[in-house]
Amino acid sequence: MNAVAFISPQNHPILIRTFAKQDEHTIKYHYIAHTSLDVIEERVNTGGKAAECYLGLLYSMEDVAVYGYITPLKVKIVVALALSDSVVKDVEISMIFKALHMAYYSAISNPFLKLDFPTEVAQDHSPYLLVGSPKWRNFRERVDEISRIVGNTSHAVSIP
Amino acid sequence: MATTSKQYKNIGEDLWKGRAEKINAELFALTYGALVVQLLQDYEDYAEVNKQLEKMGYNIGTRLIEDFLAKSAIGRCADFREVGEVVSKVGFKSFLNITPSITHGVAPPPPSPKPDGGASTTQASAGSTFTLTLDENPLAEFVELPEEVLEGGLWFSNVLCGVIRGALEMVVIHFAQLSPSLKTNSSRQVQMQVQVDFISDVLRGDESTEIRVKLVKYLEEEVPIGDD
Repeated sequence: MNAVAFISPQNHPILIRTFAKQDEHTIKYHYIAHTSLDVIEERVNTGGKAAECYLGLLYSMEDVAVYGYITPLKVKIVVALALSDSVVKDVEISMIFKALHMAYYSAISNPFLKLDFPTEVAQDHSPYLLVGSPKWRNFRERVDEISRIVGNTSHAVSIP
Repeated sequence: MATTSKQYKNIGEDLWKGRAEKINAELFALTYGALVVQLLQDYEDYAEVNKQLEKMGYNIGTRLIEDFLAKSAIGRCADFREVGEVVSKVGFKSFLNITPSITHGVAPPPPSPKPDGGASTTQASAGSTFTLTLDENPLAEFVELPEEVLEGGLWFSNVLCGVIRGALEMVVIHFAQLSPSLKTNSSRQVQMQVQVDFISDVLRGDESTEIRVKLVKYLEEEVPIGDD
């Protein structure tokens, strides 16, 4: 897995984590996240009433395949996977998204998020944006852990 | 008539399974978390919040013990060590579905029995401790403490200390006491005054979550059962 992006319902980035090698430009993944937003919006609008969280392959470019997921509260998760010869099953990607969703859910359930804004009214769902800040280590660690596990499994798959 | 550790575990398990009303763990954790954060906003002083949590726990404990003694068939405990066993294997299990492991502290050795009776025996046990080590803490399910809270010294689950203290204060230990001067045994019914504190907490980056329960003294009410 090369990168993960969590984006708020108002299209503000919550967390963007990249795991690609050092020489790749991480800014590329910001661009990927943005493009994905357009594709997701399109999919969601044409999808009608079908309330399916997992959106499947959004598009692929250069060396990555980009998959999308939207939570019931309209938080978008975008995963960029390095293209490889091995076949990646849809159900596996779906599982990855569920794990990421759960990591996000645990992070926003932290009661101490509220302490950061004692006076502000929660407009624009600002507590949910700050869950990606470096201050809250657990969320990042869990996302990193998920990517590590994915990295290990796909490694096993691509070795003949 | 000592109840074995395994028997206590089974009692705890049965009590937990027998409860018709259980609460969703997430709801419980979120409720408690909201409570702690609200207290922090109201008091703005970490030591004070610790104290308030303990006080709340104390009030809960004094009531909870009634429910516990009524539902469980636990007889009177013989000594403080047994109290610890019951608390960890039956108490925690039946209410929170967790079984903390227990380490008993070494009590100071009792002096040889004196003719005036067991006052010295009970005094010698004061200072006994047991330490509960919680592998999991349902209260702290989603919690991550920010820097300033860590430095401030908050014990997030301090309510548990209060619950233990409140419950034990209501419990009566039945001491069978050998007294050479009397023909039969008299028994003392004593209640316990304990001091319960957190020693470590994984939320604060420690390796384990530990609660130490220390017997401060017995609150006595002697009831001789033998004729003199």
